[in-house]
Amino acid sequence: MGGDYAPDEIVKGAVLAAQKDDVEIFLVGSTNILEKELAGYKFANGSSIHVVEASEVIKEDEPPIDVVRRKPNCSVVVAAKMVKSGAADALVSAGSSAAAAISAIQFIGMVDGVYRPAIVGSLGSFAPNTVMVDLGANVDCKPHQFLTFAIAGSVYAKKFLNITDPKIALLSTGSEENKGSEAVREAYSLLKNSGLNFIGNIEGNDVLSGKANVIVCDGFVGNVLLKFYENIGGYAKDWTERKLKKYPPLGALVKLLFNGLFPTTKISSETEKRGGGILWGVDGVVRIAHGASRAPNIANAIESAKEAVKAGVIESLKSELTKFNQGGKL
Amino acid sequence: MTVEEQIRDIIAKITRVDKSIITRESTFKEIKADSLDIVQALVAVEETFGIEIPDEEAQKFQNFGDFVSYVENRVVQEEKV
Repeated sequence: MGGDYAPDEIVKGAVLAAQKDDVEIFLVGSTNILEKELAGYKFANGSSIHVVEASEVIKEDEPPIDVVRRKPNCSVVVAAKMVKSGAADALVSAGSSAAAAISAIQFIGMVDGVYRPAIVGSLGSFAPNTVMVDLGANVDCKPHQFLTFAIAGSVYAKKFLNITDPKIALLSTGSEENKGSEAVREAYSLLKNSGLNFIGNIEGNDVLSGKANVIVCDGFVGNVLLKFYENIGGYAKDWTERKLKKYPPLGALVKLLFNGLFPTTKISSETEKRGGGILWGVDGVVRIAHGASRAPNIANAIESAKEAVKAGVIESLKSELTKFNQGGKL
Repeated sequence: MTVEEQIRDIIAKITRVDKSIITRESTFKEIKADSLDIVQALVAVEETFGIEIPDEEAQKFQNFGDFVSYVENRVVQEEKV
């Protein structure tokens, strides 16, 4: 029950999701607080939304890693254990991403061949057939992680974008094999010999070109790029409006273009709905939502987690990884 | 299998490094173990040997050898009880 606007917006989002869809939701946190919040809605404990007690809270100044040894009863750990036991099919969290990832690794476990989970996301409107991985789960990466990122991205592109044989590229500072950090250069060699449809390095200027269906990078680069990308539309709109201030009719046209036709605000929600924010590599569906998520974002996150369960993404990933494990490549 | 071999296996599995590079002198940085790897290793070792390792003791481990020595001593103590 974490998140900048918890518990009210989280509960409201859960209610929205339950009203919209056939889904059973467990709200994990302080029973007293959650039942009070839920009382304002027509759903009550025992219907489509249930409350599960989690007595501990991770405070802002506490290291997320403490969930493993010191906070066995915090909400994200209780929820992770529910996924592991089969009591729930998926976990959705708007709390600390690191705490969610650590709980998932420790209490749900990783699928064979994957070291750490990664976040895959579609780039949406500007590059509808491109996904990027990792979007922030792994700041420092070992070379073999790039290979599992590529496999996860490939499964995502097949499942959510219907691309039969996704083209995979490594994001670097040059197209040549010897460009990039040490980990990226080693990853190039692993990807080249992986049997995946690896097309080599691409640079930042080709991220939106559609040359690659799966762009692989470490979580540091991916997260910086994602946040820049999600916000560039708003800045472009402000800049254009400022430039055209002295021509009022054109200003109105700009508003129409940006608000109606130009998808400045839709990138995040598209990414949210199309499997974005899922921790790929965990042996269960774990969906991370932005800390600043409001009710509609939470409802989208719940919907996308449900879609991931229905699409069988974990089984698909396991099946792909098995091929590589058999070849001794992971 | 000795305590040292079991802990080496646990750490190698978690960090995905070749266990032959883990010596008693190896620091966690040399093994490329980050903080989550170390916590996972502590939990796995606690479960394997049925002991609890307090944080203040874990923080003193400078290298793999310190970790092994601590667990070896604790296992001996547990056997005496």
